[in-house]
Amino acid sequence: MSVVELENVWKVFGERAPEAMKAIRADGIGKAEVLERFGAVVGVKDASFSVEEGEIFCLMGLSGSGKSTLVRHINRLIEPTAGTIRIMGEDIGAMKTEQLRATRADKIGMVFQNMALLPHRSVRDNIGFALELRGIDGYTRAQAADRALETVSLHGYGDRLPSELSGGMQQRVGLARALAADPEILLMDEPFSALDPLIRRNLQDEFLGLSQNLRKTTVFITHDLDEAIRMGDRIGIMKDGEIVQIGTAEDIVTAPADDYVADFVAGISRLKLVSASKIMTSVDAFAAVNGNVDLSAGCPEAAPDDDLDTLVGLSTGSDKPVLIKSDGAVVGIVTKDTLLRGLQGGEST
Amino acid sequence: MSGAEQREIDDRDVGIETFVERAEGYYAPTFERVQRGSLPRWHVNIWALLVPWAWAAARGVWLLFWLSLAIDVLALVCLMQVVKFSPLLAEAQLDAAANSTLVARYSTWVTNYGWAAAILFIGGRFWMGSSANRWYFSQYSRWRIDQAVPSGVDMKRLILGLVIVAIVAPLTTYRATQLRLDERACFNQMRAGEAVGQLMPSYGAADVTALLTSIDADIADMQTRFDALDAIDGRTEAQNAERSQLRRDVRDLSREREQVSDFQTISAVDRFDCAFIDDFPTLARLDPPADVTYRRVPNEDAIAQGDEDATKVIAQIKDPVEGRKVTVFTYSAESIDIGINKLRAQYAGFFDAMTNVLRQSLIRVEVAFMQTPWPVVAFLFLALSWAFAGKGTTVFVGASLGFLALFELWQIAMQTMALVVVSTAVCVFVGLPIGIWMAKNKYFRWITEPILDVMQTIPSLSYLVPAVAFFGISQPPAVLATVIFAMPPMIKLTALGILQVPESTKEAALAFGASERQLLRKVELPMSIPSIMAGLNQTIMLALSMATISAFIGAEGLGAIVTSALGDANAGKGLLAGIAIALVAMMIDRILKGIRNSFSRI
Ligand SMILES: Nc1ncnc2c1ncn2[C@@H]1O[C@H](COP(=O)(O)OP(=O)(O)OP(=O)(O)O)[C@@H](O)[C@H]1O
Ligand SMILES: [Mg+2]
Repeated sequence: MSVVELENVWKVFGERAPEAMKAIRADGIGKAEVLERFGAVVGVKDASFSVEEGEIFCLMGLSGSGKSTLVRHINRLIEPTAGTIRIMGEDIGAMKTEQLRATRADKIGMVFQNMALLPHRSVRDNIGFALELRGIDGYTRAQAADRALETVSLHGYGDRLPSELSGGMQQRVGLARALAADPEILLMDEPFSALDPLIRRNLQDEFLGLSQNLRKTTVFITHDLDEAIRMGDRIGIMKDGEIVQIGTAEDIVTAPADDYVADFVAGISRLKLVSASKIMTSVDAFAAVNGNVDLSAGCPEAAPDDDLDTLVGLSTGSDKPVLIKSDGAVVGIVTKDTLLRGLQGGEST
Repeated sequence: MSGAEQREIDDRDVGIETFVERAEGYYAPTFERVQRGSLPRWHVNIWALLVPWAWAAARGVWLLFWLSLAIDVLALVCLMQVVKFSPLLAEAQLDAAANSTLVARYSTWVTNYGWAAAILFIGGRFWMGSSANRWYFSQYSRWRIDQAVPSGVDMKRLILGLVIVAIVAPLTTYRATQLRLDERACFNQMRAGEAVGQLMPSYGAADVTALLTSIDADIADMQTRFDALDAIDGRTEAQNAERSQLRRDVRDLSREREQVSDFQTISAVDRFDCAFIDDFPTLARLDPPADVTYRRVPNEDAIAQGDEDATKVIAQIKDPVEGRKVTVFTYSAESIDIGINKLRAQYAGFFDAMTNVLRQSLIRVEVAFMQTPWPVVAFLFLALSWAFAGKGTTVFVGASLGFLALFELWQIAMQTMALVVVSTAVCVFVGLPIGIWMAKNKYFRWITEPILDVMQTIPSLSYLVPAVAFFGISQPPAVLATVIFAMPPMIKLTALGILQVPESTKEAALAFGASERQLLRKVELPMSIPSIMAGLNQTIMLALSMATISAFIGAEGLGAIVTSALGDANAGKGLLAGIAIALVAMMIDRILKGIRNSFSRI
C-alpha cells in the first residue's frame, strides 16, 4: 500500500473555480481560456502519483510550476478542486476536523520554502512546537528539540530567537522542526535552497542516511535537477501545473518524455546516472556489424548496472570492447563508439 | 515577469504627443525646458494667463483649477466691495463735515479693497500663467506611471469646469455686493409663507389675492357683528362673552392678514436672498412627538396578591401644546429623550444593578490605591519603572510622585488612578474578545469598523450625556462613559495585531496540527502582543483624559479640581491640577512603554 497517493488532483484558484472545473471537464478548455472566461488560475492539473513507504519522491519544475501548491494538498492545507488524496489509505478530504488535526500532528511533518518559523518563540520552542500541540511535556520536548538540533548541526542555538539566525540556519531549524516530531511522512518544500553548497551537501547526505535508517516517506521539492537526482528514488517533473513525467533519474535522463524535460536534463552529467544496460548492444547486433570477432580473450568485463563511469575506466585500459555479463553469460557489448555516444546522450544502437 | 505583462508595458505609449493631444509643438519644448530647469519664471502659458480655470479644466489639472477659481473669485469679491461701498461713500460725502468718521472709514475701505483686487488679480494671473506649465509637466510625469491620470484636452471636463465656475462665481460675488442680510426678514418671510400655507386650504382660495379678499370679507363681517353687539346697552352674560370672542378673532385674523399681505409684497430679490444666499433654508416643521413620561410605580394588583416588591411602568402623556411645530432636529431629539426615558423606566433593575457593580468594584480599587500607605504605592511605581523602563524613567517617576506629594494631590490622584484602572480593566475584558472576534469574522469586522471610527470622532463630552441619562451622576456613569470612550483602540489594535500575523506562519502552525484555539493561543495572540500593548497604552491615555472630563458629571479626582477652577476662573489651581494629570499620564505611559519594549524582543 502506498503511503501517499494522489489521484487526478486538480486545483483551480479563484471565486468561480467550480464553474471553471465543470467547463474543463466538459469542454477540455486550456489554462489560458480558463483565465479568460472565469478569471481563475489553474494551479494543479490532473496530478496523480503515489509514494511508497521509505521512498523519497522528488517533485521538480521551474518556478511557478505548481510544486508548492501540489504538496500543500497532501496535508490538506489546500483543498483540491477535484480528485482524492489518500494518506496510508485514508481519504484525507473526507476527514473531520479533529481527525485531520490528529493526522497532521502525528503523521506528517512539513518544511516550508519560506521557513515560516514562529518569531516569538525560541529555536527550541519552535522545534518542539508540533510536540507541544500533541500535549507532550516540556522536558521531553526539550530533549527531542536538542536531538533534532544536533542532527542539523545547530547544537547550542536552542535559546536564540529565529530572527537572530541567518537564512540558512533558519531553514535548518525548519528541517529540525519537521524531524523532531518523528512523523512518518515528510513534506519538504525546497528545504535546502537557501544553503551554501557545502552545508547543502552535508545535509543532503545527512538526510539520505536518516531516511534510509528511519524509512521516512518523503515528498521532496526542488528546482535543482542535480539535487533531485541525488535525493530522489523517483522524480516527478512538473510544468505549468501538470506532471509531465515520473520515473527514476535514469529513466528521465535517458528517455525524456518531451522537449521540456529533454531541455531540463540536457546539461546533466550522465557518467554516474546511466547504466551499461541502457547503452549496450546485443551480441547478435554486434556480430551483424563486426562479423564474428573473438570476444573471449582479454576483453574487460562489467555488470549490466555498472555506470558509464566504470565503463570508461575499463575501456581506457584496453582496445577491446567491454563485455557486459550477467550471471556469467554475456548479455551485451559496449564498444568505444557506443560508450561515447552514450555519454553524449544518443540512443543505443 | 510574464510575456503578457512585458508586452503590455512595451505597448504603452507615454509620449508627450499622446499626453497633450493638442499644441504638442508648444508643450514638447516647454516640458524639456522644465526638465532642464531652464524655464524662466516669467515664461507664461498664454491660455493659463487669460482663462486659467478653463485651461486647467480642459487639461484636467484640477488642483490648479480650484486654486485659480479661488484666486479669481477672491479678487472679484474685493472688487465688489469697492462697488458696494462707493455709493455709501458718495452719500456720506454729501455732508462730509457731519460724517467725517464715515467718510474716512469708507474711503479707506474703498482704496484698500481696490488695491487688494488689483494685486490679487494681476499677481494671481501671472502666477497661474507661469506655474501652469510646471504643474502640467508634473501631471505628465504622474500620467506616465498611471495612465488613469487625466491627459489631453477634453470637452466634457471643460464643460464641467465652466459649470462649476458658473455656480460658484456669480453667487459668491453677488453675496459680496449685498450689505448684511437681515435674519429677521428671512424668518418673517418664512412665517408669512407658513401662514399662507395654512390659510389657503381653509379658505379654499385659489391665489393670494383671492385669499386676501376672503379674509377682508371675514374681518368686515366680524367687525359688523362686533359693532352691533357693542351698540347694545346692558348686554347679557352670553352677549358679553361673544363680544370679547369676536374682538379676539378680529385681532388674530388681522394679524394673519398682515402676514399674508406681507407675503404678497415680498420682493423676488428678497426671496432669492433668503433661499440661496443666507442660511440653508429648512422649512420642514413637524408636529412634536407625544410628550410621554414613563414612571415606575408600585404595582397595586400584584402587591394585593402578596408580591410586596412588585412594580410596573406607567406612561403619562402630557397634553400637546396647541399649534406647536418643531424642526426635524427638535423632533428627533425629543423622540430620543422619550425613548431613553422609557428604557430607563423599563429596565430600571438592570441599570441599578450595573451601577452597583461598578460602584462596588470602584470602591474596592479606590481602597486599594488610597488606603495602601503612600510609601508602598510609591515604592511599587518606582520598582516597576526600574524593572522595565530604566534609570531615566525611574528618576522621572520619582520626581512626578514628589510633585503629587508636595502639592497635596496624592490622594486625589490616587482616586483618578482608581477610575482609570477600573475603566481600563473593563476595556481589556470587553475589548480583547471583541477585537479577536473582529479579526476572525469578516462580516462582524465590516459592521464594527465604521462604528468604531464614528466612536472615535464623537467628542468625549458627548459620552457623558447618555451616561447621565441612564445611570445618573457621580463615579459609576463616569466609568461607563470612560469605558466606551477608551475602548475603540483596544478593539482595533487587537484586531489589527491578529490580522497582521502572516498567513505563512499560521499555515505552518496548522500544518503541524494546531486547532483553531491553539492557533489563537499559541501563535496569533503572542504575535499580536506588541499591537495589543499599543492599544492598551492608548486606551489608558484616553481613559485618563475621560476620567478628567467626567468631573463634569460629578466624578471625583484631579478633574474635579480643574472643573472647579474653571468655574471660579482660578487659573493657578487649574494649572497645577492640569500638570498633575499630565504627570500621571506620562508616568503610566513611560512604564507601559518599558513593559512593552521588554515584550517586543521579537
Ligand atoms: N492562492 C492563490 N491564488 C491564485 N493563484 C495562486 C495561488 N497560489 C498559487 N497560485 C498560482 O499557482 C502557480 C503555482 O504556484 P506555486 O507556488 O505552487 O509555484 P512553485 O512551483 O512552488 O514555484 P517556486 O519554485 O517559485 O516556489 C503560480 O502561477 C501562482 O501564481
Ligand atoms: Mg514553491
